Amino acid sequence: MSEYVPEGVRKIWLDIKEMRIRGAGRIARAGARALAIAAEEFKGRNLKDFMAYMERIAEFVRSARPTAVSLPNAVAYVMNRLKRSGASSLEEAVRAVVNAAEEFIEYSLNAVRIIGELGAKRLENGDVVMTHCHSTAAVSVIATAHNQGKVHRVYVKETRPKMQGLITAKALADAGLDVILIPDSSVRYFMKKVNKVVVGADTIAANGAVINKIGTSMVALAAKEARVRMYVASETYKFSPQTVIGELVPIEVRSPLEIVTEEWLNRNPEVKVYNPVFDVTPPEYIDAIITEKGVIPPQAAILILLEEYGLTLTESFIKEPYELRESELGE
Amino acid sequence: MSQQCREIATRVDALASDLRHGRILGSTEAAYAAFSFLSDVVKVCGRDFVKYLPSWVETIIDARPTSMVMSNLLREFLIGFVNEAKRSGVEAAIEKVAAIIDKINEEIEHTKKIVARVGAKRIVNGDVILTHSYSTSVIRIFEEALREGKNFSVYVTESRPLGEGLVAAEKIAKMGIDTTLIVDSAVRFVMKKISKVIVGADAVAANGAIVNKAGTSAIALAAKEARTRVLVAAGTYKFGIETVFGELIEGIVLNDPELIIPRNRMEELTGKVIVREPIFDVTPPEYIDAIITEHGLIAPQAVPILIKEKYGLPPRVKSIKELLKEVRSL
Repeated sequence: MSEYVPEGVRKIWLDIKEMRIRGAGRIARAGARALAIAAEEFKGRNLKDFMAYMERIAEFVRSARPTAVSLPNAVAYVMNRLKRSGASSLEEAVRAVVNAAEEFIEYSLNAVRIIGELGAKRLENGDVVMTHCHSTAAVSVIATAHNQGKVHRVYVKETRPKMQGLITAKALADAGLDVILIPDSSVRYFMKKVNKVVVGADTIAANGAVINKIGTSMVALAAKEARVRMYVASETYKFSPQTVIGELVPIEVRSPLEIVTEEWLNRNPEVKVYNPVFDVTPPEYIDAIITEKGVIPPQAAILILLEEYGLTLTESFIKEPYELRESELGE
Repeated sequence: MSQQCREIATRVDALASDLRHGRILGSTEAAYAAFSFLSDVVKVCGRDFVKYLPSWVETIIDARPTSMVMSNLLREFLIGFVNEAKRSGVEAAIEKVAAIIDKINEEIEHTKKIVARVGAKRIVNGDVILTHSYSTSVIRIFEEALREGKNFSVYVTESRPLGEGLVAAEKIAKMGIDTTLIVDSAVRFVMKKISKVIVGADAVAANGAIVNKAGTSAIALAAKEARTRVLVAAGTYKFGIETVFGELIEGIVLNDPELIIPRNRMEELTGKVIVREPIFDVTPPEYIDAIITEHGLIAPQAVPILIKEKYGLPPRVKSIKELLKEVRSL
């Protein structure tokens, strides 16, 4: 992008792109924060330029991580409120963005807490839990259940190639749980020792399929086989409005260097290293999705989307799913 | 015990450690390593060989209890050795150690050749094969299929925590096969593209269950779900004869933080988490379509039939414990 982008926004963009900021919730909050920074550091004078500038910034921020639905949803949350604000001066418009961003961040943090409380109710005394990757919402569920004296032991999968399991292991150990760190290859081996699986989500599709870190669908399958219940903890802004119109969720494929060293790759140029970072868990393998708005069966995912975006299969929605709510509501 | 013998005998601890920590990859390679140790010590130890043989065998087997190959082949060696000693005396038996080992190795080589030929017949042009860990039996099947001019590609998992899949990927690619490396977590993701799963085994139990590197059972489960066939390459020397008597095959679970946690993350996690790394898991027979043996392709449930053919039912084999007792009384 050739136009002006404030340094702070660029930094967040880069941090998201290079995965220093990761986890769908964190990415969403960082996206909202980036918009607030952009608004406050706008160098121009008039409202019209500001609106155009914010549109470009919004697009720029969204481009940091094309597959994380929470990011465009967070951006849409702020931008829709800016458009709806009817701001008549530049100052009002800037305030609308900052307020909306703060509101989103607070909403998001609250959501994690509420999910923790609702999710903890699904866990019973003495449950042994398994989790995969790192999800603030899933950690919230497990830690809350631990605080209530119900769960003491958790199996955390390493989560190759980026080893996000280590972050989870530390967070849960700090919360006081007995943490057993295991290789991904032993998921089926340990499933018999587990009563519940709790994972997060990157994106939830209209049919209730959950897109999450590679390996989640293998965990779900092994859980199904062992009749272990599988819960997905997810804020509602991870539900994807585009999937309602039949859009597929693209699966990001990342660099081989996340799996092997450069030296190994140079030594073995004929080996292809395939590194898809997400997979899709079908709804029939998921017992419930725990959102801040309630615990739902995955097949009811459309309920959340209807609530958020209305009954929407109109031409305008197919073109611009995020724009819809304001136009439909006629605000 | 001579000084020289004592020195070389300390190598048994290094061998045990290599076996325990999976630095020796395949189960057949484990047996070869044990034989190579015995061939070396017999050259310098003379009569002391008999004295220490029982404790060496025990140490080696303890280090890799899952490797039926190793215990079966060591059993065969002990039978050969004890018989020879009874027939023509201990000195003569010691002279014959190398010959006994050579004969066993030849038999294994022959078995592997047939397994490779039978296995290769199951590969057809255009196959996309998933394999796990590092198995010489599977690599031999690929070699044979290539020789027959078949065109196929292979996906290989990293096979954590030891990561021997990288060695397999390297070897398979060097053979000129289109090879793709994936993380263990991606097995269900890629399963839809896979036409066949072919893996090796450390052991085959009497009910047809397969003991192989951790992750095999998850792959078999994902294959079942996707209606992809699972073939296991395992000559009958991998069959756990004692499992007919209800014996369980013991697995190894390591707890070495360095296998999972990178050095630069160690500090934040030390003392906070424990690690558990099973090296093997058990794949139930219902997830396996066929076992490729030197007697042909069999259903896993037919394992006892081959055991009966070879050893009778109940199998008339001496346990290693009995054989070691006989060695001690020589």
